[in-house]
Amino acid sequence: MKIPLTFVLNNQETTLMIDPGQTLLEVLRGQGGMTSVHRSCEEGECGACTVLLDDEPVNACLVLAASVQGASVMTSEGLVKDGTPHPLMKAFTDELGIQCGFCTPGMLMNAYALIRKAGDTELTDAVIRKTLEGNLCRCTGYVNIVKSVKTAQKLKMAGEWW
Amino acid sequence: MSDTNGNRTTMTTRPGGSFIGSRAMPELVYHAPKTLPELMDLIKIHGPAARIVAGCTDVIPSIRTGRWRFDPGLHLVDITKINALNQIETHEDMLKIGAGVTLTRILTSPDVKGFCPVLARAVEQMASLQVRNTATMGGNLCMASPAADTAPPLLVSDATVILQDARGETTVPVADFFTGPGRSVMTPGQMMTHICIPKIKDQDSAAFLKIGTRTAVIISVVSAAVRIGMAGGVCESARIALGSVAPTPVRVTAAEQFLSGKPLDDQVVDACAGMAASAVSPITDLRASAGYRKDVAKTLVKRCLMACRKDLT
Repeated sequence: MKIPLTFVLNNQETTLMIDPGQTLLEVLRGQGGMTSVHRSCEEGECGACTVLLDDEPVNACLVLAASVQGASVMTSEGLVKDGTPHPLMKAFTDELGIQCGFCTPGMLMNAYALIRKAGDTELTDAVIRKTLEGNLCRCTGYVNIVKSVKTAQKLKMAGEWW
Repeated sequence: MSDTNGNRTTMTTRPGGSFIGSRAMPELVYHAPKTLPELMDLIKIHGPAARIVAGCTDVIPSIRTGRWRFDPGLHLVDITKINALNQIETHEDMLKIGAGVTLTRILTSPDVKGFCPVLARAVEQMASLQVRNTATMGGNLCMASPAADTAPPLLVSDATVILQDARGETTVPVADFFTGPGRSVMTPGQMMTHICIPKIKDQDSAAFLKIGTRTAVIISVVSAAVRIGMAGGVCESARIALGSVAPTPVRVTAAEQFLSGKPLDDQVVDACAGMAASAVSPITDLRASAGYRKDVAKTLVKRCLMACRKDLT
């Protein structure tokens, strides 16, 4: 039996009809149309489906969609403003933190939460690597990803952020 | 559809959408009670069809892969919206953590750092940020994996768990909680509400170490926790616990007793670590061989003992 799920998806109140057994990943990709949320391992090993649930990164594959009733969910689609890529996305392309792109949406969401939480504290390599430990990149591009996150934080400090 | 054992498993296709996923989740009913009485009512109404869940980080893969068996008509009862199970409280010398508290909250809680720093050190090395943001300690214990990383720190801290059913509350030491892989003393209809941890004494020191096949986001090949109390240069109290080396997380009491009244010199440390390793019976699986696990158990106990010694001198 389908049930209505009402939640805030990328800052818009949304109601979708879901199956109670569906994961957030399935609902976001299916009924929600948010195909940046990538399906990969489906057991919380890879982080490709990372989204923000009430501002905290979670694996969408390990969350029951029914449990996010009334909560706020953000995917990387929500980073784009009026068709313009977010400065965080720009940092990833400028620093070549993106290669095949499969892990990128998950990396972006985890990095976005990290940079927002860090405030004025400059992020170190160690902190960035520890935070992103649940996001696998099989193009082995971690060096450039860490660089991208640092560049993104500089952009935020320079006021280029939303 | 059949799994590798030839057992029938449920397969559903999504109305209005194509099947995605290695194995679909079955038809189920989801409940999110807001209070404990509501929760107890749901357990009463649905009986064995009701399964209590929290973060679901282990439950979802377990259902998908068929590790978790159940009859059709599953009712998942989510306890994470119940305020009473979502608190970290301190009562004098006791830390009381709700079964629905996430690992991230345990990791970032100043009270946990003050009362049971060894637990925070273990949680820090568990899974990933994304998983810690939803997974709970109650879930980690109730799934009763021999590799549950919160178990060794709780064992050395003399922690207890509070179990509740329609008849009332029972308190069980964590040391008596596990009965086998995936099994515990919990009976149908019973749920875990809190984990209680006595505050670490000023003269005590505790350590936790784990080894996996990589350093991040990994299930322990072996984990070890040690708590030592020293008085007058000799060991007054000792707790040594190991994970992933037996059907359950275990305390190695022979090695603990061996330390009593002895100074923590290199010889004693070495002998104690050897005793701890010979007291356990690990298995060979795809993560490591039994022999390797024994070797690593000895090394981790030794390193934990040395860390405590360093901290106390």
